[in-house]
Amino acid sequence: MKFLMSARLNKRMRASRVKITLLVFYRIGKFALYDKNEKMFDKRLEIRTNVCYYKKKHNFRFGKKGYAMERNSGNQAQSCAVDSNQANVELYSPEKKSVMDKLIILTDAAKYDVACTSSGVDRKGSGRDMGNCIAAGICHSFSSDGRCISLLKILMSNECVYDCKYCINRRSNDMPRATFTPDEICELTINFYRRNYIEGLFLSSGIINNPAYTMELIYRTLYKLRNVYRFRGYVHVKGIPGADAELIRRTGYLADRMSVNLELPTAEGLEKLAPNKHRKTILKPMRQIQNGITQGKQELALYKNAPSFVPAGQSTQMIIGATPESDYQIMSVAESLYDKFDLKRVFYSAYVGVNEDKALPAIGEASPLLREHRLYQADWLLRYYRFRVDELLSEKHQNFNILLDPKCDWALRHLEQFPVEINRAEYAMLLRVPGIGVKSAQRICKARRSSRLDFDSLKKIGVVLKRALYFITCSGKMMYNTKIEEDYITRNLLAEHERLPFDKDGVTYHQMSLFDDTPENTMLFGTHGERNTAYV
Amino acid sequence: MCEQVIICEDSMEGILSGVYEAYRIKKEKGIESHAFIHLVTRHPDMYRLFTEYTAQETNPENADKVAGTIKARLGSECCYQLCLAMASCFEDKADAGYHTIVLGLRTNDRRILDRLGEECVQSAFRCARASSNELCHMMEFTRFRELEGGILYAEINAKHHILPFLMPHFADRLPAENFVIYDKAADIYGLHPGMKPWYLAQGVEPDSDRLKSTDSEKEYSALFQSFCRSVAIESRMNLRLQASLLPLRFRPDMTEWKGSGAAGTDL
Repeated sequence: MKFLMSARLNKRMRASRVKITLLVFYRIGKFALYDKNEKMFDKRLEIRTNVCYYKKKHNFRFGKKGYAMERNSGNQAQSCAVDSNQANVELYSPEKKSVMDKLIILTDAAKYDVACTSSGVDRKGSGRDMGNCIAAGICHSFSSDGRCISLLKILMSNECVYDCKYCINRRSNDMPRATFTPDEICELTINFYRRNYIEGLFLSSGIINNPAYTMELIYRTLYKLRNVYRFRGYVHVKGIPGADAELIRRTGYLADRMSVNLELPTAEGLEKLAPNKHRKTILKPMRQIQNGITQGKQELALYKNAPSFVPAGQSTQMIIGATPESDYQIMSVAESLYDKFDLKRVFYSAYVGVNEDKALPAIGEASPLLREHRLYQADWLLRYYRFRVDELLSEKHQNFNILLDPKCDWALRHLEQFPVEINRAEYAMLLRVPGIGVKSAQRICKARRSSRLDFDSLKKIGVVLKRALYFITCSGKMMYNTKIEEDYITRNLLAEHERLPFDKDGVTYHQMSLFDDTPENTMLFGTHGERNTAYV
Repeated sequence: MCEQVIICEDSMEGILSGVYEAYRIKKEKGIESHAFIHLVTRHPDMYRLFTEYTAQETNPENADKVAGTIKARLGSECCYQLCLAMASCFEDKADAGYHTIVLGLRTNDRRILDRLGEECVQSAFRCARASSNELCHMMEFTRFRELEGGILYAEINAKHHILPFLMPHFADRLPAENFVIYDKAADIYGLHPGMKPWYLAQGVEPDSDRLKSTDSEKEYSALFQSFCRSVAIESRMNLRLQASLLPLRFRPDMTEWKGSGAAGTDL
């Protein structure tokens, strides 16, 4: 069998990581490649087994016998005839990939990173250069998974020398690889920004060669963006653990936010799933950034025009559900990160199975979205509602209630502190009432200075009365004649049906059961299998 | 006593000159309380008995005077919020704004908008909140396209008349760009010549030939469309959440929802 090559393969390409295994072949084994004139080109081409990716998104084409061919090598590749002995295949070296190809590959590779906020820094325009920042952050769009698109979230490169089990870009995965040049990134950012598509750049990268080299590439890109392209918008970059401290320091003066991913909540988990990463090397740059921020603030107090170091603070992220930690452990880690490392945000990322590995949950298993949601709710309670982890969870009570949000759950376990008198209660206590958020609590405190508040004005202020009514009084009266009794309130709160950001649209929280109507079960038990699925 | 209703133009200036007029007739006719005077922005469907209706011409000078007084006595933040309230599309905005101003000036309270126990403040707050939400949406969802000649052009369809509040944001962000934002609902253009102050223009009819996009525009919109598609995680697909965060009414003017490659259509 021979393959006709319509493009010339140069030496550089053979040396690079472009996988000829992107093409799909009949058999596993060794083959020879021929060029247009049927001259033998390379006889050492080895076809490996893991060549069939199937993702609808990439429009893989299937031949008669189910042989797939990847599209992203261009039009010519698409017309590859997979069911004959000859195939017209054009191979591209990484240099030949268009910006569009790279953008698709590198966005796809970056999408599992959760942090996409543009908040934390207020910077007015300079009156000359492009860009400003708004402390609250701006989401410019929402992707079909409902997550916000605020920054141009890309990897510099998805080449990686590490082999972390959970990561789609791990070394042992066979997938299209690409690398952006600094200029391409700058052009994309500037042109997206001026059309108001994005709020700035989120730049991360796989590890090319070694951490220091990768960090330097990121630094160079940022330097160019800030000083050559004169971009003043938001920039979030990843600090690469293991990189030189000086590089991280310099990058910090160019970026608005830096983050170093903790990846997994415990050191054991990290050791198991990310053998190339160590807790110590992750915490070191985190500490360095923290010290830099503190020092930078002091310098700013002294000299008004001192350049600011990571003004929007640092963040991190943890993968939830790949390792067996409890919510209590995860929240305790988050709390100590807030306390000891002054982190601005900790992000939680429900594990999405992308790799098959015996150390990981199976690929088809649903991501623990509800758990992630509860963790975010609790995270908010820590940051804005003055709660401590010990109040929400304990050694005995290790996980969050799946039926009630953490605040309601806490309130129901502490009914002795309720009802709260709206016109007199302290701000801190108002924050603890289910149905009253930070804004409503602030408004209540301001409004009650001039007049007594009643339930009608509370409603207009924005209090969610259907939840709050069991816990508050206005001028000594409750809204309705209700009992302060755990069972009674729980029943009523559950009847309200908490609005979760997911369900019905395919993503549901399933409790595994023998009778779930999965295709396999339908085959085994027929279509009339008893439905025993718990939708929450 | 006969109630007074002043019908003013539906614009910030119109309402502010209405407020001036209300103070004037109160003094002139010796009306006891401001509670007997009301401001509306359009002729009512049903006229009431024992009520005197007067249509008020917009007078920019008087509007400036009122705005100056509010700024001086209630502070610029309060003035901004009141202007936001007046830019909303609610019917009671003029009256709520007027009575809030009266209350603020009487009590000399710079935090008048915190008094959410008062009914007029509640309404003004509701109006201001609605326009500021719309303003946030527009900061997020306005999409520019590059026209031949390098001008950036955006079309929006805002529920509330927030273009005057939107322009400073983009003027600060893109100081060197020539850009135009056209509010289709209010038929107003906001224009910003590079490195110069922005201004509003009404009743202009642009040449459709001049609204042609450049070639690089197509390239970048295609790039952004595929970016939006690739950044979504298939296994977390949640169109309902997407629709609640990015309401359908904004989508016709957004790049990622135009053409065949619309975000979310082929996922």
